[in-house]
Amino acid sequence: MFNSDLTRHLAELSKISFTDDELKKMTADMTSIIAVMDKVCEFDTTIKPYSLDTVNYNDLRTDDARNSYPTESIISNAKNVKNNSFVVPKVV
Amino acid sequence: MRYQPVIGLEIHAELLTDSKVFCTCQNEFGGSENTRVCPRCSGLPGTLPLLNKGAVRLAAKAGFATDCTVNNYSAFDRKNYFYPDLPKAYQITQFESPICTDGHITVTGGKDIRINRIHIEEDAGKLIHDDYEGISMADYNRCGVPLIEIVTEPDFRTIEEVQDFVEQIALRLKYAGVCDAKMEQGSMRVDVNISIMPVGSSNFGTRAELKNLNSLKAIGRAIEYEIKRQSEILDNGGTVVQETRRYNDNHGDTKALRSKEEAHDYRYFPEPDIPPVLLSDEDIAEIKSSMPEMPQMRFKRYTQEYGLPFDDAKLIISSKEFSDFYDETVKINPDYKQISNLMLVELNRNLNDSEKTISDVTFSPVDLAELVKMSSDGIVSKNAAKDILKIMFTDGGKPHDIAKEHGFIMDNDTSGIEEIINKVLSENAESVASFKNGNQKIFGFLMGQVIRLAGNGANPKLAKDLLTEKLK
Amino acid sequence: MALKQLRAMLDRKEISAVELTQEYLDKIKSKDKTVNSYITVCPDSAIEEAKAAQTLIDSGSISALTGIPVSVKDNICTMGIKTTCASKMLEDFVPPYDAFVMEKLKLQNAVMLGKTNMDEFAMGGSSQTSYFGGVKNPYDVSRVSGGSSGGAAASVAADLCAAALGSDTGGSVRQPASFCGVTGLKPTYGTVSRWGLIAFASSLDQIGILAKSAEDTGYILNCIYGYDENDATSSKNSDGDYTSLVGDDISRLKIGVPKEFFGEGLNEEVKAAVLDAVEYYKKLGCEIVNVSLPSLEYAVSAYYLISSAEAASNLSRFDGIKYGFRSGLGEDFGELIKNSRREGFGNEVKRRIMLGNYALCSGYYDAYYKNATRIRTQLKSEYASIFEKCDVILTPTAPTTAYKIGEQENDPVKMYLADIYTVTVNIAGLPAISAPCGYDKNGMPIGMSLIGKAFDEKTIIALCDRFQRDFKGREAVI
Repeated sequence: MFNSDLTRHLAELSKISFTDDELKKMTADMTSIIAVMDKVCEFDTTIKPYSLDTVNYNDLRTDDARNSYPTESIISNAKNVKNNSFVVPKVV
Repeated sequence: MRYQPVIGLEIHAELLTDSKVFCTCQNEFGGSENTRVCPRCSGLPGTLPLLNKGAVRLAAKAGFATDCTVNNYSAFDRKNYFYPDLPKAYQITQFESPICTDGHITVTGGKDIRINRIHIEEDAGKLIHDDYEGISMADYNRCGVPLIEIVTEPDFRTIEEVQDFVEQIALRLKYAGVCDAKMEQGSMRVDVNISIMPVGSSNFGTRAELKNLNSLKAIGRAIEYEIKRQSEILDNGGTVVQETRRYNDNHGDTKALRSKEEAHDYRYFPEPDIPPVLLSDEDIAEIKSSMPEMPQMRFKRYTQEYGLPFDDAKLIISSKEFSDFYDETVKINPDYKQISNLMLVELNRNLNDSEKTISDVTFSPVDLAELVKMSSDGIVSKNAAKDILKIMFTDGGKPHDIAKEHGFIMDNDTSGIEEIINKVLSENAESVASFKNGNQKIFGFLMGQVIRLAGNGANPKLAKDLLTEKLK
Repeated sequence: MALKQLRAMLDRKEISAVELTQEYLDKIKSKDKTVNSYITVCPDSAIEEAKAAQTLIDSGSISALTGIPVSVKDNICTMGIKTTCASKMLEDFVPPYDAFVMEKLKLQNAVMLGKTNMDEFAMGGSSQTSYFGGVKNPYDVSRVSGGSSGGAAASVAADLCAAALGSDTGGSVRQPASFCGVTGLKPTYGTVSRWGLIAFASSLDQIGILAKSAEDTGYILNCIYGYDENDATSSKNSDGDYTSLVGDDISRLKIGVPKEFFGEGLNEEVKAAVLDAVEYYKKLGCEIVNVSLPSLEYAVSAYYLISSAEAASNLSRFDGIKYGFRSGLGEDFGELIKNSRREGFGNEVKRRIMLGNYALCSGYYDAYYKNATRIRTQLKSEYASIFEKCDVILTPTAPTTAYKIGEQENDPVKMYLADIYTVTVNIAGLPAISAPCGYDKNGMPIGMSLIGKAFDEKTIIALCDRFQRDFKGREAVI
């Protein structure tokens, strides 16, 4: 059954922080949404899961290098840049 | 208690393609920050991956190099996790249907190490840390560099097996043109999964994953440390925790990187932007036919068919270019032993002295084959052959021309050499007397005098026979 | 006015491309405060493009779209022009590249009037989840436009553009077309390149067209379809010439009516209007075939699990580091991105991400995600057997007409269930067109959908066009 621990776990996987109130509301929403989704659990598991049509090896992109984009155009949308690199708080 | 280590490897190798695996940026090492990036590899919204045929080809070749089955059907999946060096927050990899499966490599002691799979994936970017400012800076040049991951079964029981396997993998990948396998530069990275169990047991313990091993030596030291660490834990009644540990080469120890609580749930699912790839039997056969003969096969040929000593054969195969040169040469002149000797001793001496590699050599296998033939036919002496090789190496030219020009063509005229010997004997009466009194060593001195006077073209065998005769 | 007529007027110099563009810009200025169909209007670049188009028209170098003013949904990347996905997260994101369809439009010298409003990240059926305010229905501004391409549909309905590009993941072109009384075409998956379409659910997303008639949707599709090496899922099977059957005799066509689409939950007025359309085709001589899609009952759940799973992954890249909203809070990387995503995403987007991760996470994957893809296989094969019996399927587009703003869009479950008639088309990758077929007692448009065989847009366009020749549509008065 859906509960707030599961919401917390999903929030961690989703990398979204929630206040306690938001978490409560999300748990309620998810509970009713999952109730609808549970419909699929009863489905016939002998049917093959869907997959995309294949592509032939010979139709793949030929290994040719082309010019990259100017650095400026790649970093121009970032809020915090140093040495033409994207800045984050130090990770170990 | 005495423990037995159980070890498996995960080896990442960067593929030698021209372009990245899912975009057309150049696949190259280094470079200024974010200069080899495009909307695709920097993960801009709206972009889509475009699989590189070359990467698929090289991954298949890696499979052939390790006796894997190369599968007709392979598919891509997303591995989801957040890290600043991974701009899409998922890595495209092959989880359910890898391109190669079920390979093996025989290691020292004749044991087979099973390879579970080889799959294609993309590399992540690089982070530069600034301790002073407390920031990390992400450079995406390496994002999307094509990788293969080679995953073995936990079949290793000794450090030697591991090191031999890694050495063989590196060599085979180089032979196949798949990867330059420079561990120090990170183009081949080995992760070690290691657990221990009491000797005689068959229940594997909990494993630790060791990272940051960038040399064979580091691999050995890290495993040694880890066996000790885990043994101490067990001996003290503790339990080993499943975790990732980083090896520190300065201290020779390993430190936990992530704890169990943070264990990832990667939420793999089929990559919807890349259709699964179909390799026809013809495609697979065509790729296979483009494989060069692998080093282990050459080793077998050199030792079993050519009769070369193990050490010599191993030295020749340690570089594909060197081995190719040798093979080309013996194809023209099947004087296996002489050519091996000349290349391993004389050619290598010249290469080392000039700090060059075999690919810098300007003469051809045809020239080398000719030189060895001249020597074996008695046209030039063995010593002369070495000198000719040196001239070929430094100044170029055909062996026969050099021999003529420098007077290396052997003089087989007995009367000429006899005259010289007579001269030497008369001028060194004391030495002759000494020899006749039993000082065998003096023969060399006299022989040297003869050769000096006779010049480049002297036939040493002829001279030796005559000198021996005269001294009787 | 039909695009053909517009083309003729431009070519005969009855109006210049600049005049036409200015007319639309003026209308946007006066009316869009009410409708809110655009997030970004581009008056300067539009006039420049119109001038360039006029030069080409004057020199006789004319393509189908030269000088035709269109709107583009704000999840399609436009180089140098903000592309927000109606999210705070991308409020100031300026792509350094053009989507494939933008390149196509530019190649033809079409005029891009601006970027249209939508549900945040195309997740929703009301266009009320936009960070830039909801879209109003031009037929009644107290009602929703539908969504997610609500801005696109409203911009066509209010005549704030000649035609619009939208996107359809589970009905996002067809449902707002139905609510706003315009024609919406979702082509076969792979017909139009997704390069530059900011992904919601990659295996379901398809760029579509909202226009004033079925023929117009075909007219635009002729200009934007085609294989694109940048999109590995784009198809080489599309043959173009999408209006070639328009005007042909359609009486030989067999039309399938699946009973599951007319059951419980379908509004009576909608049902009656759609059945009238069936009757219309019957009178023309089309054979009406009763067909069945037994697994329809699983479709909504399967759709939400698959689309949310893909969305959770696709939207993971929005962390505030490389582009988009970056929170001022967060001492470490994890906290920074958690706060950026908390502040940058709206509630519905968060719900979908949470649901997607639920479907994918360890312990739930097999029961939810994997089973959903089994249902996908099943629905595809059920459609295949239906198409052995008929050429086209006729269904309602949505269970209801446009509802009052605030009435329903805050109840996620209610919203999800309302997608029942549109999602199977995306799940099976088929083409479908929605067109008005009546009006309810409040004067709100009712939409019917014609679903075709894969890559057979031609037939549904021609069939829809035939209906539109006799149908008396009402203009929105705004």
